[in-house]
Amino acid sequence: MRAVTRPILIVVMLALLLAPLGLPPFAMTLLTEALILGLFAMSLDLMVGYTRLISFGHAAAYGMGAYACGWMLLHTGMPLLFAVFAAALLTGVIAIAVGWMCTLATGISFSMLTLAFAQLLYAISFKWTSVTGGSDGLAGIPRTSGPLGFAALSGKSGFYYFVLACLVGGFLVCFALVRSPFGAVLRGIRENEAKTTALGYNTRLYKIAVVATSYALGGLAGALYAPFAGFANTELLFWLLSGQALIMVIVGGAGTLVGPILGAAFFMLMEHQLSSLTEAWALYFGLIFIAFVLFAPQGIWGLATAWLRRDAKAS
Amino acid sequence: MTTLAFLLTESLNALSQAALLFFLGVGLTLIFGLMRIVNFAHGALYMLGAFVGYSLAKGSGNFWVALVGAPLLVGMFGAGFELTVLRRLYRRDAHAFLMVTFGLALVVGEAVRLIWGPDALQVAPPSALAGVVFLLDEPFPVYRLFLVATGIVVAVAIWQFLERSKLGLLIRATSQNADMASALGVDVKRIRSSVFGIGCALAALGGVLAAPLVTASNGMAATVIIDAFVIVIIGGMGSFLGSLIGALLVGFVQVFGNYYLPDLALAFMYLVMLAVLVVRPGGLLGKET
Amino acid sequence: MSKKVGPSRRAMLSVGLAGAATVASPGILRLTAKAENAPIKIGMPLALTGALGSVGQQLKRGAELYAKLQNAKGGILGRPIELLIEDTAGNPANCVRKAQEMVERQNCRLFTGITLSSEALAVVPKLAEWDAVFMSSDNGDGRLTAESFVPNFFRANISGPMGTRAVSLYLRSGKAQKFYALGLDYAWGHNSVQVFEDEVKKSKKDFLGKVFAPTGTKDYSSYITKIRQSGADAVFLVLQGDDNNAFLSQSQQYRLSEKVRLLTEIVDLASIRAVGDAALGLIGSSRYSFTYDYPLNNEFVALWKKEHDGAVPDTFEGEQWQAMKVLEAGITKAGGIEAAKLRPALEDIEIESVKGKVHIRKCDHQGVQQGFMVEVVKQEGIATPIPKVIATFPGESTTPKCNSMTFDD
Repeated sequence: MRAVTRPILIVVMLALLLAPLGLPPFAMTLLTEALILGLFAMSLDLMVGYTRLISFGHAAAYGMGAYACGWMLLHTGMPLLFAVFAAALLTGVIAIAVGWMCTLATGISFSMLTLAFAQLLYAISFKWTSVTGGSDGLAGIPRTSGPLGFAALSGKSGFYYFVLACLVGGFLVCFALVRSPFGAVLRGIRENEAKTTALGYNTRLYKIAVVATSYALGGLAGALYAPFAGFANTELLFWLLSGQALIMVIVGGAGTLVGPILGAAFFMLMEHQLSSLTEAWALYFGLIFIAFVLFAPQGIWGLATAWLRRDAKAS
Repeated sequence: MTTLAFLLTESLNALSQAALLFFLGVGLTLIFGLMRIVNFAHGALYMLGAFVGYSLAKGSGNFWVALVGAPLLVGMFGAGFELTVLRRLYRRDAHAFLMVTFGLALVVGEAVRLIWGPDALQVAPPSALAGVVFLLDEPFPVYRLFLVATGIVVAVAIWQFLERSKLGLLIRATSQNADMASALGVDVKRIRSSVFGIGCALAALGGVLAAPLVTASNGMAATVIIDAFVIVIIGGMGSFLGSLIGALLVGFVQVFGNYYLPDLALAFMYLVMLAVLVVRPGGLLGKET
Repeated sequence: MSKKVGPSRRAMLSVGLAGAATVASPGILRLTAKAENAPIKIGMPLALTGALGSVGQQLKRGAELYAKLQNAKGGILGRPIELLIEDTAGNPANCVRKAQEMVERQNCRLFTGITLSSEALAVVPKLAEWDAVFMSSDNGDGRLTAESFVPNFFRANISGPMGTRAVSLYLRSGKAQKFYALGLDYAWGHNSVQVFEDEVKKSKKDFLGKVFAPTGTKDYSSYITKIRQSGADAVFLVLQGDDNNAFLSQSQQYRLSEKVRLLTEIVDLASIRAVGDAALGLIGSSRYSFTYDYPLNNEFVALWKKEHDGAVPDTFEGEQWQAMKVLEAGITKAGGIEAAKLRPALEDIEIESVKGKVHIRKCDHQGVQQGFMVEVVKQEGIATPIPKVIATFPGESTTPKCNSMTFDD
């Protein structure tokens, strides 16, 4: 399978690199947002697809990253590059505590604990007005270019390349992680946690580590979104976004890293286009998901690889 | 207002809210206990119940018709969905159910908007329940007392149904071990359809009963699903008694919390849930899943 | 190329990026030539679905009727009006994306009807970059003409602080002495309650306390208990949508209005329909009411009834209509829609509208207009109660000081 997909990935990568040269402005806007959401969904896949830690509260990572980055850009004059990574790091550090609490439980209780944390953050974002701006959120977030000559990052194409670099970097980190011995333990936890524990692994530590990594990358996505859209508000922490992120992962194909990126792009573009065509877009949107479950259980990436394999066999 | 009157009326308020929360939670927990499905569409079905109830009440001029009819219709819809869609998915992992019920929530939510429009609609309580009674000289809505009574009746009925009836026994057996039940000749398929239908009907009952308090509106699904999750988790997924305790706990904490610490109103439920789960990760009466 | 046309600059930028400058010039020429009678595009990223879908739908209908009638008369400056209507579901992320699409793909330079304040606050900082003007028709948040003010933002509608001010002016001559306030726990609720508190204290009456409920509160019993215990003669409500409907339904079940007078920052027809008789006796300010007896309004109501099978225009249908009229006057005066020309034209403009005189003041772009107080009453022959105008106040007294949410006297 690797042999079949690798050339495709290279072609896609080249196309993404050349995109700003040929695409009209709004297509670039959509593409940038799709990549940000792709990074977000991919980060969740580490937990959902590789460790079977189904988080119902991943919006917490996105929202924390967005608020932290937005706040730094608005109030500290920190340049974009540093603010984005500082926000991601902060999210990851906070996630160690979140992970410690949530991994007290397993299965569905774990899911609900992550949800509880996200909803608490949502409540806090309403109340901690001096930092979060309350219900108004943070608006007019600048893309401060800073002293080290990263001025290009604040432009449209420059920012796009920055997002692309973060996504590719995030992907490589995840890819290396899941193929490492660490990843093997995660898969062990996914398939049979009791057995993995019996083999002498402290599975809880592994789980906390994967939660922290996943949140840090999700926080990176949120940190990119704030300067991209120019605002951060409470919706970014709301449970609906957590639910949508899960759907992005599943519709793309959980446990494949690439799939969730495609799932995120599919989700956002579909919602955007459908809602332009009809007010009843949510109806069709829902039907599409039901159809996916029934007819394409492996998700978009599953469809794509099956199609590629068949193609490869035919030729 | 005397302290006693205050405590009495607030407690009754808490009980009336607990009743509404219980209808939501018990349906969700029955479905989870039997099928290991987290039903994301539960809030949408609750909303559907309120709107179907609106139409039935308006068409017949009788609230009681809505109270019986809406749960029945929504329950049939739920059973139909189980028969046509969910049934094909039992061999699949949890992801399939998450996505399919998320999809169902979108479809039902939009269908409600298309059929009934975007405006909130009035569902008045029946005239017999529209008045107030004086409790220690304080006026208290009869309708809220009715909610408390309904909550008790439904809770006892479900309990008796699960404990005493043949179907209830089969449901409990299947929840414990579906393979074993199937091997013993239980028609597991039929049990699943019935339970999913009953769960949806209970959500719809909650919707109809909530409508006179909050009107039937397009926004009512969004927040209520989280309430249902919280109750079920506090009590322990799959535990009937747990959902009752969870509803009571959340009802009381919310009502008294809103009074004494309104600044934390948004956070109470989650704080209770975190506190419970940190002490007992499986919920008050649940096993670790 | 004498006129500075938005599209050409954008087109040049994007084509220039593609490194094909030779293709650019014919495109620019074509666009400039077409601008003379090209349609005037007005972007409306609205919350058509979701919890505030009812408001978004009203804004849509208000703009659509205006565009239809105005296009039948030849449009504005001989150019047809084209409404770009998109659903945001009330999510600021969607709203920003849709607005960006209207700018980048459709060359839209005018916005109106952005439904939620959170959406408006997310869009407003982008207006300069987009070179676009945004005419608010329903955003009540006082900050939009205060701390968050940007030069390309205009507000044709009555803001939250203005509505609150009308209520407090009305109360100055009333009997009620002791007040309590209940607001939604977000910016609008806090701002309006603050204005009300200041006003009550200034008029030497008692302000007994306030409480805020989060949006989406389903059970208002604890808040009702607090209001009853406060001993107030009247409670000032800053609620909307589902929260407003829930509170009014439940307070009727508690017979609250027998003890405490209910005052509200905004009386909305859709809400009255949703709660029926529970709204009876409610007194509050109105953004727009079809019952206001004024020639231009009667004319508008008649037009509306003809178009919509006898239905009367709702609150935000009237507000959107007025916003379109202000925009029309500005475009006519400016001779075009470019922000650089439209902005000065709109500043200090004055028109006669359905609510009487509207004057967009230069300092913070707020539309100065009459404040209305209405009471919800039953009228013979109509099943649902209606809001009856019981007092009006001149705009000079209901509009706050420039770039602020406070009042002088």
